[in-house]
Amino acid sequence: MKKGFPPPFPPERENKNKLPPWVIRALEEKGLSAEGLVFACFCDMDNVALYKDSWLFFDNKGLYIASGTQETVKPKRGHVPPEPKVTIEKIQSIPVGDIDSLTAERYTSTGRLVMSENGEDVPLTYFSLGKIGDLDEFARAFNSYKETGETGITPRMDDGPGKCKKCGAPCPPDKDFCREHDKNKGTAVRLLKFFGTHSIQIAIILALMVMNAAAQVFVPQLSTRSLYDNVLSGGSPLEQSIKALGVLVLSVVGLRVLKTVITIIQDYMSASIMPRIMYDIKVRIFEAMQRLSVGFYSSKQTGSLMDRVTRDANNIYWFFTDGVPRLIIDGAMIIGILIVMFTMSWKLSLIALITTPILFLTLVLGDRLFRRMHHRVWVMRSRARSLVSDNINGQRVIKAFAKENDEYGHFEKESDAVRDAEVRLGVAEATLFPILDIFVLLLTTVVLAFGGVMVAKSEGNMTTGTLLSFIVYVNMLKEPFGFLSWISNWWSRCSDSAQRVFEIADAMPDITEKEDAVGLENIRGEVEINELEFEYEPARPVINKLSLHAPAGTMLGIVGKTGAGKTTIANLIARLYDAKEGSVKIDGIDVRDLKLADLRRNIGLVSQDIYLFIGSIADNIRYAKPDATMDEVIAAAKAACAHDFIMKLPDGYETRVGAGGQSLSGGEKQRVSIARTIIQNPKILILDEATAAMDTETERNIQASLGLLTQGRTTIAIAHRLSTLRDSDYLAVIDEGKIVEYGTYQELIKLKGEFYRLYKIQAEALKTIGIGDTEGVFAPDETEEEKHDD
Amino acid sequence: MTDAIQTISPETLKTEYLSAENCEFFASAHGFLGSKIKGKEYKRVILTRALPLTEPDKYICITDVEKTELGIIEDTSVFSPEQKKLIDDELSRRYFCPVITEIKSIKEKFGNFYFDVMIGDFKKNFTVKNLNKNIRYHGEGFDLIDVDGNRYRIPDFKAISPKSRRNLEPYLY
Ligand SMILES: Nc1ncnc2c1ncn2[C@@H]1O[C@H](COP(=O)(O)OP(=O)(O)OP(=O)(O)O)[C@@H](O)[C@H]1O
Ligand SMILES: [Mg+2]
Repeated sequence: MKKGFPPPFPPERENKNKLPPWVIRALEEKGLSAEGLVFACFCDMDNVALYKDSWLFFDNKGLYIASGTQETVKPKRGHVPPEPKVTIEKIQSIPVGDIDSLTAERYTSTGRLVMSENGEDVPLTYFSLGKIGDLDEFARAFNSYKETGETGITPRMDDGPGKCKKCGAPCPPDKDFCREHDKNKGTAVRLLKFFGTHSIQIAIILALMVMNAAAQVFVPQLSTRSLYDNVLSGGSPLEQSIKALGVLVLSVVGLRVLKTVITIIQDYMSASIMPRIMYDIKVRIFEAMQRLSVGFYSSKQTGSLMDRVTRDANNIYWFFTDGVPRLIIDGAMIIGILIVMFTMSWKLSLIALITTPILFLTLVLGDRLFRRMHHRVWVMRSRARSLVSDNINGQRVIKAFAKENDEYGHFEKESDAVRDAEVRLGVAEATLFPILDIFVLLLTTVVLAFGGVMVAKSEGNMTTGTLLSFIVYVNMLKEPFGFLSWISNWWSRCSDSAQRVFEIADAMPDITEKEDAVGLENIRGEVEINELEFEYEPARPVINKLSLHAPAGTMLGIVGKTGAGKTTIANLIARLYDAKEGSVKIDGIDVRDLKLADLRRNIGLVSQDIYLFIGSIADNIRYAKPDATMDEVIAAAKAACAHDFIMKLPDGYETRVGAGGQSLSGGEKQRVSIARTIIQNPKILILDEATAAMDTETERNIQASLGLLTQGRTTIAIAHRLSTLRDSDYLAVIDEGKIVEYGTYQELIKLKGEFYRLYKIQAEALKTIGIGDTEGVFAPDETEEEKHDD
Repeated sequence: MTDAIQTISPETLKTEYLSAENCEFFASAHGFLGSKIKGKEYKRVILTRALPLTEPDKYICITDVEKTELGIIEDTSVFSPEQKKLIDDELSRRYFCPVITEIKSIKEKFGNFYFDVMIGDFKKNFTVKNLNKNIRYHGEGFDLIDVDGNRYRIPDFKAISPKSRRNLEPYLY
């Protein structure tokens, strides 16, 4: 929202965790006061999973489920929606004392609120899965209220339907934005804004297009009308006729040349501005994509983003380079032709015009018919295409399983489907178009018949030449009409694309910097995690009330089963996602209060899945610090034990990696990515399985060099191999998003718990392959132990 | 190897297939499903389908409330009618999906599909993004998944009214 924007109307938005006034009134009519209400939530199903409006709420005495109906009245355009009519049919109340706790259980398409009573599960109400976030919050609020007397949940404001998400002004209930902010309406206007910077050129292009159309309209006047009336009509001496013919031929040729020149200039000009406009649009998308948070990219509904962006940009491009010029030329031509036709003979024009709507209608209907077939062909083609790309990417696997023939069979099947769909479309088109042509023929015949009569009667200056050129005009109308009948489709496809492009451009990043965010120039590197809770999807907690502390300059090791939430913790520290509850603090400041650039600059994250950009190895290492000298690059590569293998490559540091470049092994990629982080020189280093793909010796060497580098640096190391974590000052064992054990290496061994078990497993594994004394392999050196005691 | 690390053994790798002989179901007082498996009683068990779309009555996984697997039922038809009803009731609760009885209209706008449907007597509007990715075919019909993750079922596409079919057909495949 802009600053100084008028206050939202209605002035106060409802608190989502309270009941709306009309529900409270309906409850009071039933004799239930909502005065002591603590927390409320709307639910859309009843206890047999039928849709039913119901409200759940609790006070310090009981939990209430009031079900009934709520009728929303559709508001007039731009009016405040009137209050919904609520009737309460049933109220179920359960004394708070009877409920031990509430849980929102997730089923396939629904969810169910379940209470536990003396260790027994008792089902309450169903709800549709989309509501699980609200119901889960309700359950947590209840549990926490029962335990502590506080819900522990900050009230949320309702910005749902009925009010504009941008300014809070009323809007239709099925829309998120008011008319002013409704993006759908503004698509055309917003697209045109991209053209604004080139307005002079565009005005010239427009003028040229109109001239082009005028030239085309004028041609039949000479080539047909003059030809018949002045040259072929006879009556004048031969010499004069030939002279007239010469003039005619020359002027027709002249007109054609003029038209071609105009077209060349026009194409030349649009060719020089369209790419610029597309550039502007693409840059806008790209910039927006950089701003968006990681969550946007992994969300399921986004689909294939890259494919979408390029395809959408192309759709817009072709509409504006092909569609719009034709629209303008054809539009101008229709107007021009009609004017000429009417000046020639208004009677014949009327006759011709009466029949044109029929033509237009057949064109539109034909298009409807074909759209489905086109769609089918398109779906089939893209299926075959994705099969091909799947195959190319999976060649190794296909070969390893000797599945070439099966894959060939699949492709044959898909191709058959494509072929059949294409044949069907082709046949349909081949039959329909000739029928359309017959319509046009009929139309011209009718005009010819009437015109012939008029010529015979010499009515209204009608001559053979006029009639024949008139017929030419009628035929000339066919094409622009045909084009107009499907330009609307073309536009809708273009605006679809534009809308999606704007959707990305307008998408709000989940993670935003506060206006008064604090900068951090020199940080110490203390990391403190407090009661952290996080979930990717509602009611599927990944991190559960987790607290951890890594004092500045120490090394914290994290172990845990796969899927325990280790990577998630790393992501939360770097604020790639925001915590749901609790906080992550760096030097005692919540990461949400820090400037994002400062935060990320100080945190080096070597992540589990490594991505190298297309470019040379040196460029990849330099990624965080583009101005790094070659000395720095080599130093970083040495520290990451990457220098030696890089030097063995024929192109050395200039070896091209990334998609399409040299393939590096898993461990080599990891080393490049470690070097990339080392050069960044972060105060906090997070190593998420950073050395998992390497042999133990290389890992040791990297650790040794990191050890030198990490002095005074906080390191958080995540690993499955315990030997990786032997230098850690503290260790945390994580399971299902919770800390199960925490302490120094020695403490955890003494504890004989989960860590000890892991330790034993790995030690036993070594023993079985004949490495006797395992204690030495894992236990920290004596000297280090002394360091701990300090 | 010592016992301490023996978490995976031939025993644990073997799937426990359950049938009417070693497994019996009962309804708890509050309508949840309980079970007695190999003589051990569980107050509440959870059933999960391994092939929810194509084989809803085969390969049913039984877990306790902590999601520890107790066994797999290969085919529910081996149970007595009363037992099978208990199983089916629990599964239909867990896999409950509102059934679309009529498709009144579908508007496609900007890649979103706005459905206006009837679910029994209830009028429901929902939005599906990216239709071909959010449709799950099974047998004669399919499930539609809306933007909130809710599913709506059409059990038999041929059985629905011709008008409803015409509304959706252009968007399928
Ligand atoms: N983007 C995501 N959306 C939904 N769920 C996710 C997402 N990323 C991870 N998860 C889930 O969150 C849980 C924790 O994942 P996380 O990557 O933190 O595990 P981890 O401890 O790093 O595992 P590993 O040792 O295999 O790397 C897993 O159950 C995973 O399926
Ligand atoms: Mg991980």
